[in-house]
Amino acid sequence: MTDENRTGLGRRPFIAGGAGLLGAVLAGARPAGAQSAARRGTLVIGLDISDATSLDPARVAQYSNPLPAHTAWDSLVTFTPGDYVNVKPLLATEWAYQPDGKTIRFKLRNDVKFVSGKPMTAEDVRFSLQRVMNLKDQPQQYIAHVESVKVVDDHTVDMVLSDPTQPILTIIAAPEFVVMEKAAVMEHGATDAPDAKEKDTATNWLNDNSAGTGAYRLTGWQRNQQIQMVQNPNYWRGKPGFERVLIRHMSESAAQLLALKRGDIDVAFNLIPEQVATLKDDPAIEVKGATSLDFIYMAVAASPANPALQNKAARQAIGYAIDYDGIIRNLIGGNAVRPVSFLPVGVNGSTEALTKEIGFREDLPRAKKLLADAGLPDGFSFQLAYGNAAIAGVQYQNLAQKIQADLARVGIKAELAPMDQLNLRTMYLGGKAQGVLTFWNPPAPENLLWASATIDRVAKRVHWDVAPDVRKLVADAAAERDITKSGALYRKYQEVMVDQANHFVLIQPIYQVAMRKTITGVQLTAAGWMAELSGAKPV
Amino acid sequence: MIRYVSSRLAMAAVMVVLATLVIFLISNTVPGDPVLTQLGDLAASNPATVAEFRHKWGLDLPLWDRYWIFLSGLAHGDFGVSIVSRRPVLEDIADYAPATVELASVAFLLSLVVGLPLGVMAAVKRDSWIDHVARALSLVGVSAPTFWLAFVMLAVFYGALDVAPGPGRLDPVSFPPARITGLLLIDTALQGDWDTFHDALAHLVLPSIVLAGATLGLITRTTRAAMLEALSQDYVRVAKAKGLRARIVVMGHALPNAMLPVVTLGGLAYANLLAGAVMTETVFSWPGLGRYTFQSAVSVDFPAIMAITAIVAAIFVLVNFLVDLSYALLDPRVVKK
Amino acid sequence: MSGIAQRIVVPVVASPSRRWLRRYGLAAAGAAIIVAWLLLAIFAPWAAPYDPNFVDVAGRLKPPSSVHWLGTDALGRDVASRIIYGARISLLVGFTVVLIGGLFGTLLGGAAAYMRGWAEEALMRLTDLVFCFPPIILAMAIAAALGIGTGNTMIAMLVVWWPKFSRLARSLVITQRSLEYVEAAQTIGFGPAHILLRQILPNAVGPLIVLVTLDLGNAILVFAGLSFLGLGVVPPTAEWGAMVAEGRELVQQWWVATFPGIAILSVVMGFNFVGDGLRDWLDPHARNR
Repeated sequence: MTDENRTGLGRRPFIAGGAGLLGAVLAGARPAGAQSAARRGTLVIGLDISDATSLDPARVAQYSNPLPAHTAWDSLVTFTPGDYVNVKPLLATEWAYQPDGKTIRFKLRNDVKFVSGKPMTAEDVRFSLQRVMNLKDQPQQYIAHVESVKVVDDHTVDMVLSDPTQPILTIIAAPEFVVMEKAAVMEHGATDAPDAKEKDTATNWLNDNSAGTGAYRLTGWQRNQQIQMVQNPNYWRGKPGFERVLIRHMSESAAQLLALKRGDIDVAFNLIPEQVATLKDDPAIEVKGATSLDFIYMAVAASPANPALQNKAARQAIGYAIDYDGIIRNLIGGNAVRPVSFLPVGVNGSTEALTKEIGFREDLPRAKKLLADAGLPDGFSFQLAYGNAAIAGVQYQNLAQKIQADLARVGIKAELAPMDQLNLRTMYLGGKAQGVLTFWNPPAPENLLWASATIDRVAKRVHWDVAPDVRKLVADAAAERDITKSGALYRKYQEVMVDQANHFVLIQPIYQVAMRKTITGVQLTAAGWMAELSGAKPV
Repeated sequence: MIRYVSSRLAMAAVMVVLATLVIFLISNTVPGDPVLTQLGDLAASNPATVAEFRHKWGLDLPLWDRYWIFLSGLAHGDFGVSIVSRRPVLEDIADYAPATVELASVAFLLSLVVGLPLGVMAAVKRDSWIDHVARALSLVGVSAPTFWLAFVMLAVFYGALDVAPGPGRLDPVSFPPARITGLLLIDTALQGDWDTFHDALAHLVLPSIVLAGATLGLITRTTRAAMLEALSQDYVRVAKAKGLRARIVVMGHALPNAMLPVVTLGGLAYANLLAGAVMTETVFSWPGLGRYTFQSAVSVDFPAIMAITAIVAAIFVLVNFLVDLSYALLDPRVVKK
Repeated sequence: MSGIAQRIVVPVVASPSRRWLRRYGLAAAGAAIIVAWLLLAIFAPWAAPYDPNFVDVAGRLKPPSSVHWLGTDALGRDVASRIIYGARISLLVGFTVVLIGGLFGTLLGGAAAYMRGWAEEALMRLTDLVFCFPPIILAMAIAAALGIGTGNTMIAMLVVWWPKFSRLARSLVITQRSLEYVEAAQTIGFGPAHILLRQILPNAVGPLIVLVTLDLGNAILVFAGLSFLGLGVVPPTAEWGAMVAEGRELVQQWWVATFPGIAILSVVMGFNFVGDGLRDWLDPHARNR
């Protein structure tokens, strides 16, 4: 069959044609992008938003959704970046406890307009907070001690507390407790009635829209794709710097890095330390660090299933066998601090200097001595569980393996148990875990939220039977209004935590956020909403 | 014929229900409690809140009641509400499915466009260099781990060379078109938004090449084998003996007859593409069904898991059924048996 | 098929050795790759330059050099050593899953086909059922229910693995059972077990071996994929899919993910080359054409 050579299925045109087509598809596929006017007017943020289940402020309970919520809505009070001790005015200009000791009177700004152009009034404030209380979703738990909110006049509201020893101002700074335009949201089914839990139908609308006083207005949310916002022309602090804000869902840090380098996004939130290191020499990009109030910790329970762990000295031995500096210097590229215990560096009574003074440090002879004291000179084993996730670019998996190697030096054997978040939480919350690597991020920068957790629900998980004097210590520290005295009490609390050796705080990340130098004014914050976008503008 | 079809359809429905039952039972042995991941730390420690949440999602009902509720919902086309996203599962799936369908379709098309001619040429020029190249190429395609190939492609063509667009379905600056079908190529074309069309097409290049890798090998091999079979048939030899030109013999006579096994296998391969895109979607940040499946499984989102199981099972059963049906139509003996 | 027809469709005239090389060159190369990996796996403690689990965070993410040929990973472990040890897991899992799944599936399929009737029908419906499952959901559900670990992942794989062997064995037995030698054996009075195991199976073993070989690569690929998704091995055990996952975000430190991927590619390719060659060799139909 010689004529097979003339079948005419010429391969060269075929291959060349294919390559040409591919070239045509790729060439110019990238819109002039970075240079175009529309691009310049848009602030594009790369962020992993897969965790968000709602953008309705009254239902915000995840890690990423406070950012859009805080951008679209304002609360009465706030924290400025870097200071998480002193509450600052936002929609309220001033506030004061009334003589009855349980009512706080807020004076409102009188120049604030909603995005619709209508003025903000005390009734909007009352309605919004009342809705959170009656909706009984997660945010409500933090203001459960608010009895009622009352309108005094158009620009004054009273908040009545059922338990005034519990903190409130630090909590209502969070974007869950914002002011909505009552008329606008009622139109879409919102209600503040006692049966709001069943009757309120506004969440669907609020997932895609906002009617607040923030710098930008929410205009759409495509799950796991993006959140769109446009400028609020009536913003009370002046016209915002961008026409639009776009939060792009990017789960992969590598994608964020490449998109940032190419100018496809302006801000990358989820870079890992190795990637940040490569950006240091890039003239177009600036890396900003912001010490968070989050931390990764290892909980070690006095588990009934493991007699060795019931021995306090054995647990303390773990604390002295970990190479903390190696972890911070290498695994997270030095971008972290370490608190003494469950109070992050930056809040009242917690500093890095104090960690050096009273915290755990690597001290192998001491660890060995503690093990001998515990009657376990050859060490012991325990199960260490963790999820398949990363915080600030540090994989739990790597951290667990590093700790495993560290503990092996004194004969303590950590048996790693990777598991999904579901099984991990079930085990930990049910008190069935021996050792757990996990994460704590506060709903608001309030000392008591950390301290009360450790002596209450977290104590149960690690089988710590908290003595009454420790409970009194925490209650006194929280009720004390003098910051210095309160700080001294919290120091004592941290000494107790170290002695108890149920929690080892390993990493409190300094989040590294990379931004293109074509934008300015994005301020990072550790207060819970990642960043202030209201002052952002193009250069 | 009608009896054959209806009995096969009934069987298919039973299969789908059985598949959901098995997955339901396995998921229920998971020690993890889906409630705890959905509630915050504070709420999860409050027994009243947990009990209320459980009640709201029907998790406090006996096992069989829950399965019964699922089944009766299924009969009405209602898959329930996802525990994680708090939206109707069907809405979720409608959101995620088009991305996967688009990617899988383009990948499938790609493997056809390259695999068919390659297979035909390999058969016609058997033992020539092109045959060997086709063989090696398809073997390597089948052997490469998808997740690794995706990483390498992205690192090389996007990261290092900067000739291809990055992860995702569109550039960060592009706005998605108004939703009609959810398939970006079709929606943009319908609306005449050719810039976005171009953008979406370019974003499909890398992931579809990665996804096509394995299918391409399959299509090439099947085409080649079927063509060899067809070329050795008597009628082809008769046609050649009559002096018809080789091109006409190949394209007009052998190829159409070689297509049946290719179509059959292609159907199954396409169904596999739909189900198997999870790794490609993960690396390319592709908001598709694969990732939704993965996330639902990780969080033991019962309604979502059950719905996906039912849908995937239905797709497989349907494809199998169509394949069998095409045989039955071509070979009446199958029905009689 | 007539001799004339054969001559017509085989146009290329080449020396016998070149033809052998063309036809079986790939298979030989594949066999060489597999043997090399097997040797590395068996002699890993001698072949690996370092302890695969030695953590040195100060020396992490070092590029390939004369000290660490393939660089170090995020915990400063030697990538080359981890790849060598990783071969043990991959090959072990591949062989275990395919051999157990293959044996179980083949016996079940063969027996069902030989018995015919409702047993055969029930088996076919059961295999249909297994094909219906979204494999990821099934694997993840099993991993979540039993815990993450190599053994549990293999269980999940086995659940979906056997049916294709059942189907192949069934079709082979159906072809064979009507052949004369089987009828002869029945007439002589051999029992069904004897006929099935001693008469039919040996005659049907060729296609099964081809499937097993091709499937070994496939099993290694699937296991690596599950490992990549975090369902495979418990750290610090070195495993290729998990190693790629560890390096997935490290675009600048490309060696962390690239080399384990090449290891997977090479061993899977080896099995596919050999399986492909075997198919040609065992299938007279394809050989003579």
